[in-house]
Amino acid sequence: MSLEVPRELREEARKHDMYLTPIAKDTYELFFGPQHMATENFSIILKMDGNRVEKAIVNPGFLHRGFEKLAEQRPYFTNIALLLRICVPESDVPENIYSMAVDEIVGWEVPERAIWIRTVVLEMARVSSWMFWIMGFGNEIGLYTAGQWAAAYRERLMRLFEELTGGRVYHIYTVPGGVRRDIPGDKWLRQLRDTVEYIKSKLKDFDEILFDNYITFERTEGVGVMDKRFALKHAVTGPNLRAVGVPYDVRKDDPYYLYPELDFEVPVLKEGDSLARVLVRRYELEQDLYILEQLLDMGPPSGPYMVQDPKLKNLPRFKVPAGDAYAHVESTKGDFGAYVVSDGSHKPYRVHVRGPSQSHGVTVLEELLKGARLADVPVILKTLDNCPPDIDR
Amino acid sequence: MTMPARVVGEEKVKLKKSFVKPWIGIKYLFKKPVTIKIPFEKIEPAPKYRGFHTLDWKKCVGCNFCGQICPARAIEMTWLEVEGKMEKRPHPKIDYGRCTFCQFCVDVCPTGALGFTESYILTTDGTEDALELFNWVPIHPDKVRELNEAYGDYRFPVVRIEKLGDGTYRYHLRNGEVFEFKILGYGIRPPKKPTPAKPATEATANKETTKPAEKKESKPAEKKE
Repeated sequence: MSLEVPRELREEARKHDMYLTPIAKDTYELFFGPQHMATENFSIILKMDGNRVEKAIVNPGFLHRGFEKLAEQRPYFTNIALLLRICVPESDVPENIYSMAVDEIVGWEVPERAIWIRTVVLEMARVSSWMFWIMGFGNEIGLYTAGQWAAAYRERLMRLFEELTGGRVYHIYTVPGGVRRDIPGDKWLRQLRDTVEYIKSKLKDFDEILFDNYITFERTEGVGVMDKRFALKHAVTGPNLRAVGVPYDVRKDDPYYLYPELDFEVPVLKEGDSLARVLVRRYELEQDLYILEQLLDMGPPSGPYMVQDPKLKNLPRFKVPAGDAYAHVESTKGDFGAYVVSDGSHKPYRVHVRGPSQSHGVTVLEELLKGARLADVPVILKTLDNCPPDIDR
Repeated sequence: MTMPARVVGEEKVKLKKSFVKPWIGIKYLFKKPVTIKIPFEKIEPAPKYRGFHTLDWKKCVGCNFCGQICPARAIEMTWLEVEGKMEKRPHPKIDYGRCTFCQFCVDVCPTGALGFTESYILTTDGTEDALELFNWVPIHPDKVRELNEAYGDYRFPVVRIEKLGDGTYRYHLRNGEVFEFKILGYGIRPPKKPTPAKPATEATANKETTKPAEKKESKPAEKKE
């Protein structure tokens, strides 16, 4: 690209016996990620003009494993250990959508106790995912202290998960027909209540150091603005959609599990910039802790935690009747759904996962990055909050 | 079915920016850190943490349920010979290079032979022997639990796996005990060609004669599987 030298300047220069030659405008390519902290196994090729992004090309595929194809080659129960890798920070979401879909095909009525445990686990996963997000976001805008706190509080939830499920990150806990283990005892419930209260008491500190901080406002206000029509056209869901003024929440619009009985609010802002997305997420964290409190007040119903079915005696050859089902839940990234088709054998015929990051992590991200400053790239990336394995699935 | 969504807008969600408030965080300078100082403080895994496997060889019926459910295909059925006696049924051999610690194999085990302990540390001191270490036929739960109580650092119960030329394996346990057995072949089918369901007494009687043949056959049997 060459620049035109204005005519007056050229004439002025000729008077003084000088010649001006047009210089080429320099653009350069910048490989952003996957070693950058904000991108986490994801990379963007940025065409830069000085400090501004001229064009962004998303370069995913570092975590490609072919989840959906692999799921066709494994027995029904085994798929749980595979599909949860689609969303690492909240691995309970893929477990739950797959289990819900299989439950629907088989026609099981999942016991009440299992439903309660699943709801609690989903909400715990949401809170721990928010903590993970605060850690990432705090690090991106340079407020590392808040990030370290969030990591420390997340550890408490991981400890609870470890006692309940036997794993820290990959829980492999929710299976078709219920859950794999019962609650360890009343002690665990007390610990969960303590943890919820503890994190709730710390929210004020987060507000002070991160969400009320003028640095956060300066870095995020007016950055990466998305408008409503654009968001709806690209099927953006979750907090990103609520930040542009659409009150869509799967827990309210297509309720599952115990959510019809629970009381919570859906935060909606109109601006659609990074700040709105941050504030919506902050409010949702508060609401999730409130939901957990309500669930603990409700208490676990008595009864079995797994469906009693003689077919479950032979798990590797467990056959599901022919049919198909779609189930979706609200994750911290957005609307997460799974479509399972069965042809009557012991392996699924097709498993399709509808991930939220596919919609806001590729096209939308490329669009929002146009014209952004280099320093704003991690902020936009982190406020959109994509999950790379979900894009690569 | 939709519920009346309780939507809250700007008045509740929005915050005001502040120059002063972030400084309140300084109070945490005078508080105790939450970091666990690992060599001095100890962390213990939860009571039913999914760690290494254990196997009661007497209870195992060799049904290969564990091999079928394994999502990573880490389990291989192995025909073993302990103290000159061939085991009647194959036992699972678990490769921790592939294992995802989902413990579905433990869930499906019909006799409860396969179990797990809380030991989870996969790191070694980096010697070449250690490469062979994490592909093993699990040992008896009582033995593993005894070792765990004696050491209490949740490491792998076997220190070294010695492989001899004729397919004999020696597991050197952490307390110096040696556990020896021989691997005859892999797969669900027994490695010998005549009469698969042979009584153990006969198998030992003509062991001397059939031994060279076994070794040769063990490899093709592996390929077929």
